[in-house]
Amino acid sequence: MRIEVRLYATLRRHALSTAGGVLAVDVPEGSTAAEVIAKVRVDANEVHLLMVNGVSSPLDQVLAEGDRLGLFPAVGGG
Amino acid sequence: MSREDSLALLAKGEIPERYMRNIGTIGVDGQKRLLRSRVAVVGAGGLGGNVIELLARQGVGFMRIIDGDSFALHNLNRQILATERTIGMNKAAVAAARVAEVNSDVEIHAVAAMFNEDNAVELLSGMDVVVDALDSISCRLLLCRMAQELKIPLVHAAIAGLTGQVGIILPTGPGLEKIYKTTGGSDKGIEAELGNPAATPALAAAIQAQEVVKLLTGIGEILSHKLLYFDTELNIYELLNLG
Repeated sequence: MRIEVRLYATLRRHALSTAGGVLAVDVPEGSTAAEVIAKVRVDANEVHLLMVNGVSSPLDQVLAEGDRLGLFPAVGGG
Repeated sequence: MSREDSLALLAKGEIPERYMRNIGTIGVDGQKRLLRSRVAVVGAGGLGGNVIELLARQGVGFMRIIDGDSFALHNLNRQILATERTIGMNKAAVAAARVAEVNSDVEIHAVAAMFNEDNAVELLSGMDVVVDALDSISCRLLLCRMAQELKIPLVHAAIAGLTGQVGIILPTGPGLEKIYKTTGGSDKGIEAELGNPAATPALAAAIQAQEVVKLLTGIGEILSHKLLYFDTELNIYELLNLG
C-alpha cells in the first residue's frame, strides 16, 4: 500500500525527502506509523507529534492505503 | 481616564475613543467583557511581549505578567520589550511599564519570578485565561497541568525558526502531552538548532492574542483541541486535530 508522508521543519533535513518534504512510500499492508517512519529514515525520537489524516495518532497506529502521515518535531521556543 | 471611567461610558452606550476601532468587531458588550477580564501571561519574551502589547491595546482589564528573567542582548532581534535601554531589566517589570504607557485602563500585576510548582496555584487562581508564552517544554507541561486542574483555558503558542504553533487547551480534553513527548530528551525543541528570527514570535503571538480575545468575548470559533501549525518556509498553514 502507498502512504503519503509529510515532513515538517527540521525533519525534512534528515530523511529521504523530496521537494517540500512530501514523499510517497510503499509499505506492506498492515504497516504501522513507526514502520513508515523507519522506512523514510526519520529518527522516531525527533517525532513529537504524529498526525494520520489530520488527527493526532500513536506510533503504533496501523495505516491504510492512501493515508496521509504528518510528522512534526518539537517546537518549544518562546 | 481609568478602567472604571471607560466601563461607565460603555454602560451608557458611549464608546471611549481609544476603543472605537474595536467595537465594530467585538461590540460594546465584548469591550466590557475584556475590561472586566483577568489574564495571566506566563513569559514576557518573544511571544509574551507581543501578546501583552496587543491585549493592552485591545483593552483587557487585568494582566498578571510572570517572568523572572531579565533582558539580554540576544533578545533584541525579536523581543518587542527588549530595547538597548531595557537590557538587564526584569522582563515583567518592563512589560508593566510599557502597558502603563499604552493603556492606563489596564491593571498590571508584574511578578518577577519564574513560574513553578510552588507558585502555580497562587499565580493562576482567579484568572479567566492563561497564556503560555514560555520557552521550556517541562514548564509548559506544568503550566498546562495546573491550568487544567484549576479549570482555566490555556492559550498555547511555541516557535522555532520559521515554524510555529498555536492552540487552546481546555480544562477537559487533551493537554500539551499530546504535542510534546514527556519521556526523556531535551527541554528544548528545534529552536535550539534553528533559533528564533524576528517575525516568527510576532506571527504566533498575534494569533495567540486573537484567540484570547475570542475566548473572552465569545466571538467566533476558538482553536479548542486543535493546533494551528505554520511552517512559513514552505507557506504551510495547517489545522491539526488533537483528538
